[in-house]
Amino acid sequence: MGRPVSRLALMIVMDRCICCKSCEAACKQEHGLGPHEYRNKVLWLETPGTPRVDLLTVTCQHCERPACLRACPVNPKAIAKDPETGVVAVDEARCTGCGECVVACPYGAMGFDPVDHHAVKCDLCASRRERGRTPACASVCPTTAIRFGERADHLAAVAREGRDAIEHDHFLMGPATVYLPPARRRSEREASPKLIALMADHSSRDVLRTVTREGPYGADRDRRTADRIVPGACNVCFNGCPVKFHIREDKVVGITGNDEDPTFQGRICPKSQMTLQLYNNERRLTRPLKRVGPKGSGRMEPIAWAQALDEIAAKLVELRDRHGPETLALFSGTRSGIITNNGYVSLFRQMWGTPNQESTEPFCSSTKNLAFGMVQGNRALPNSYTPSDIGSAGLFVYIGDNQAETRPVYFGMINEWRRRTGAAMVVIDPRLSATANAADRWLPIRSGTDMALVLAMINHIFARGLHDRHFCEHWMEGWERWRDWLDAQGYTPAWAAPITDLPREEIEALAEAIATADGCMIYASRGINQHSNGTQTNRALMFLAAMTGNWARPGGGYFNVSSATFIRADAPLERRVVPARPAVGRSPAAWLAAMTDADPYPITAMIGSNNPFALWPSQEHVRAAARALELYVHLALFENEASAFADYVLPVASGVEKGGISRASEERRIVWSDKLIDPPGEARSDGWIWIELGKRLGFGDVLKEEYKDICVFWDEMCAGSEYLRGCTSEAFRASPTRTLRFPMGPNGAAPETLYREGTTAAGEPEGRRFPTKTGKLEFWTEEQEAAFAALGLSALPEFYSEPEQVVALPYLERDGKEAALEQPRMFSDRPSYGRSARIVPGSDDSPGARLRARGFDTALVTGRPPAPHFHSWTHDFWQAQEMWPDLYVQVHPGKAGALGIEDGALVRIETADGAIEARAWVRDGIRPDTVYVPIGWGEKQPFNPWRPVNHLTDHTQRDPMADQTNLKTRLCRISAV
Amino acid sequence: MSNAVLQSRSSSGPARPALRKHALLALMVGTAGLSALFFIVRPVLPAAWSTPGSPELYLTGVLGALLCLAPFAFSIAKRSGRADSPPAWFIAHVAAATVGVALLVVHSGLHVRRPPALLLAGGVFLVVQGAWARVWLAHRIAGVFGGRYAAIIGTGGVDKERLRTLIDAKTALLTRLDREAQEALFSPALSHWCRHPLLSLRYVRLAKAESALVGRHGAVSPVLAHWRTLHIAVAFLFLAGLAVHVITVTFFAGYVADGGPIDWWHLAAWGAP
Repeated sequence: MGRPVSRLALMIVMDRCICCKSCEAACKQEHGLGPHEYRNKVLWLETPGTPRVDLLTVTCQHCERPACLRACPVNPKAIAKDPETGVVAVDEARCTGCGECVVACPYGAMGFDPVDHHAVKCDLCASRRERGRTPACASVCPTTAIRFGERADHLAAVAREGRDAIEHDHFLMGPATVYLPPARRRSEREASPKLIALMADHSSRDVLRTVTREGPYGADRDRRTADRIVPGACNVCFNGCPVKFHIREDKVVGITGNDEDPTFQGRICPKSQMTLQLYNNERRLTRPLKRVGPKGSGRMEPIAWAQALDEIAAKLVELRDRHGPETLALFSGTRSGIITNNGYVSLFRQMWGTPNQESTEPFCSSTKNLAFGMVQGNRALPNSYTPSDIGSAGLFVYIGDNQAETRPVYFGMINEWRRRTGAAMVVIDPRLSATANAADRWLPIRSGTDMALVLAMINHIFARGLHDRHFCEHWMEGWERWRDWLDAQGYTPAWAAPITDLPREEIEALAEAIATADGCMIYASRGINQHSNGTQTNRALMFLAAMTGNWARPGGGYFNVSSATFIRADAPLERRVVPARPAVGRSPAAWLAAMTDADPYPITAMIGSNNPFALWPSQEHVRAAARALELYVHLALFENEASAFADYVLPVASGVEKGGISRASEERRIVWSDKLIDPPGEARSDGWIWIELGKRLGFGDVLKEEYKDICVFWDEMCAGSEYLRGCTSEAFRASPTRTLRFPMGPNGAAPETLYREGTTAAGEPEGRRFPTKTGKLEFWTEEQEAAFAALGLSALPEFYSEPEQVVALPYLERDGKEAALEQPRMFSDRPSYGRSARIVPGSDDSPGARLRARGFDTALVTGRPPAPHFHSWTHDFWQAQEMWPDLYVQVHPGKAGALGIEDGALVRIETADGAIEARAWVRDGIRPDTVYVPIGWGEKQPFNPWRPVNHLTDHTQRDPMADQTNLKTRLCRISAV
Repeated sequence: MSNAVLQSRSSSGPARPALRKHALLALMVGTAGLSALFFIVRPVLPAAWSTPGSPELYLTGVLGALLCLAPFAFSIAKRSGRADSPPAWFIAHVAAATVGVALLVVHSGLHVRRPPALLLAGGVFLVVQGAWARVWLAHRIAGVFGGRYAAIIGTGGVDKERLRTLIDAKTALLTRLDREAQEALFSPALSHWCRHPLLSLRYVRLAKAESALVGRHGAVSPVLAHWRTLHIAVAFLFLAGLAVHVITVTFFAGYVADGGPIDWWHLAAWGAP
């Protein structure tokens, strides 16, 4: 039969896919689809016996002989095929919903609307094609794994690459969709890929039947067509992705990637799009609530704003009178936004006089923040996502960083560039993440031993004379001390091999590859930061990058998300109240003892946002602390675990309900959003709440009424730093994409690569390349050594791991008291208490050995869930729940088999601090001695509540310098339930 | 082909009437409730409301039977090309059948020990099964999406030669059944059945053989694969039973009365003992 010359099709490049499911999100919003209703779906397939993941996008094949069409009993058919384009489409107005087409499609690519009862299928976004646009899925795909065009062109492109498309015309139906299989060929001995139970089992998704389809979902096209489209930023995570908000009257009816942005080009992850389910959500809090039942009961009653704020202010004053201003703790995070955290809350803190203000940083990245500050003088990441900078790297090394699932668009760029340049990619991670799956090599390191790997590589590079002498001699302060120290310690690849459980040859080869690559980008993230050795491991990685010349050069650098945003709002000196006592540590984890035992002094009140009841470690302690508080004010979008314990719950605005900037991305970009819609009900912006509360406490002269306008507040209080100079709200609005990069030069442009040789750092004396005292990257100074020594340690990197390890390794022993000493100011920007520490060798009497003797024989690693989720708030988005509903634990088949655990079965995970249950994800892509459980799930979430993994973590295991909690390596034991 | 791009029509569009879960359940519960109410108050009603052959219940039965023909009208309309809005016909078939069966229950006077009770059971089964499919099975139908991934990345395991033979046979047959049609897009419509019943039957048998080879039904649960076949089969049995009942009470009133009084309108009393 003749093929139409212009037959249209998608081409799906399987080894570009990272299973972020952005295509699913785009499809559902474009076509107004609700739960269970699919036109496309990405499947995560694992191959038993092999650490291999296949990511498959299922969508209509637009067959030449469409079985669906022939099965349709209606006359004329409710399904038709365009003779020119070959597109097969369903006319829902003629469909009676019998489901015959669904059963008939041998590819399982026919969807069904279980609410309005009709067939649903991909028509390659006919409505978009009419406007000259590509299908929604292809337009957003962060990794360009989905491409749209004429089938013949796809096949020609495949042939040009010398590859073969998957031959899947088993049924002689002539499928049009082109699948390009992973380049890594499947051996004949390998088993067939299998859909993981978490995706195959629909029972957890049944709860979504109760979802009310709001906003664009379920609405006809007229009602979801925008009357204006405004550029802005996604406000979910730290990427600050540029998006377009589609507004109809006072509702957000669409969120798409900003195709005018030269970097992102419309690519976007699913979270941005799913914030539609934030702006249109019947569960949003709309009135202030006051607790009327016992703590934890969740029994609340609505009250007026004035009453709530008056009562809170009165209680705060009472507590201040009894305990001093330090008794108030302030906690905010990503949800509340960077302007709130570093602006409104910071001003409030300064005038109130408490040192105890923290964000989520101590759980995410304070070790790398501290390390960057010590080494480079600030936290600006120097490189840019351009072909001539990051795109020119010869090698990409990821260590403890799953960029594919945490920053999908940036990963897509790198993946594209490396295909063009032939750059290699190596991933070091205890599990086969989506990033590792895309890499050339995966090194399954023992969790918590990255420091040993890096020190050994540094030593090996010195030993081989492969270091960049010019950079070392001119731009690294203290490099010789490191060199001599590592040599003296005997930190060789042979030493590191049994510690890391990586072959010596692999360590040497990687070290040499980094040293000899023409540009190496080293990426680290939470896998490095969330350890009690996070500061030192970050410093070691920085040393590795610098000694190989991979710092502040195109195609070479060390990245650890994200760049600092450089906002610092300060009250006039005369209005600041200097706290009489230091901060209780630099982490909310340190506050718990102050809340329950007044150690070192009582914290009796907390105003907090985000969700401490899912996020903070040692959940039993967190709950005890919340019960002990005399005042707990919770600023929230939805009712959650924390609101059940709060005395007052204040409904807040989010994203374009309040406007403001995104956080700086890893390439120093920030994006502005205007306030576009009103928040639901009586919800208010965080800024409004802090100003109104401040007024009641006499702070109105600084937290001014006009600062409720976020533009005024930003321009007057936030954008004054050297690095944000020129980044005014007006400048943002003058940018078509509302995007600016910093630091802006006189011409308004930011350097592509910051701190290049021959340049002067912003705000520094002429000729000072880096913003440090010496103008060099500082790895060892007398001042650093003194600061470390005050804690009982050395600035020179001595290897230690976590106290609970699966093998005997050196670990850190801490002083028991939270307030043992005053933390050296090098490690804290305000006076705070700290604890001394000493490194002790692993022994039969170490905490790990004692636990192993009790059967705790497995390393528990916690971390980010897949791309559609971010902490706990995406659990109120029905589509994120549809994609990944259940808390899971990744287990190696060897361990699972020995314990009788099957894929998808319920498993109990237990540490010395508690136990939770989760569903097993049995896979070869994880170390046999390790299990992995993601964060973000909570007991009171609306669809699939689970006890959060932080019931298993320990708030006392913290980095002594940065106070960051170890969330990556604990001993646990698992069993079938 | 017109300039318009062929597209899947928007869900929930005004052009498509839909019978959502709550409306369907309300119809079911409402109808059942009214029927139950009738039987609760029946003891205080005149005796005629307890006698299936009385004019009141006779006419109730006639009305119920006529309403129960609506599904067959729907079946014909959607296959004949005469239905502007098949979904509207679908809703009509659900509503009419539900009310019709309820009227037949009322007409029966709950005399469930006689053979016509089988007819009632069939009617009730059709209503309940149809509602079950709409309310509960719909989610299972939706869940099929993405379940056959092995067809994309696997070998398929299909005898392609045999498949080709079947397709060739269908193509050859189609030259006699409908010269204008393309095998790739064709399945027999009502008009084909009327004009060429045997050819249509042969074609359908070939198509079923192809489906079986492709594994059409094997990839889903038996319930999902066959619920509709069962629904249609029981519906035809119901229609046949209805016809038999009408014929017997009209012409074989004596047989039906089995020695008792013949208190309904009839044309002949054949078959009396």
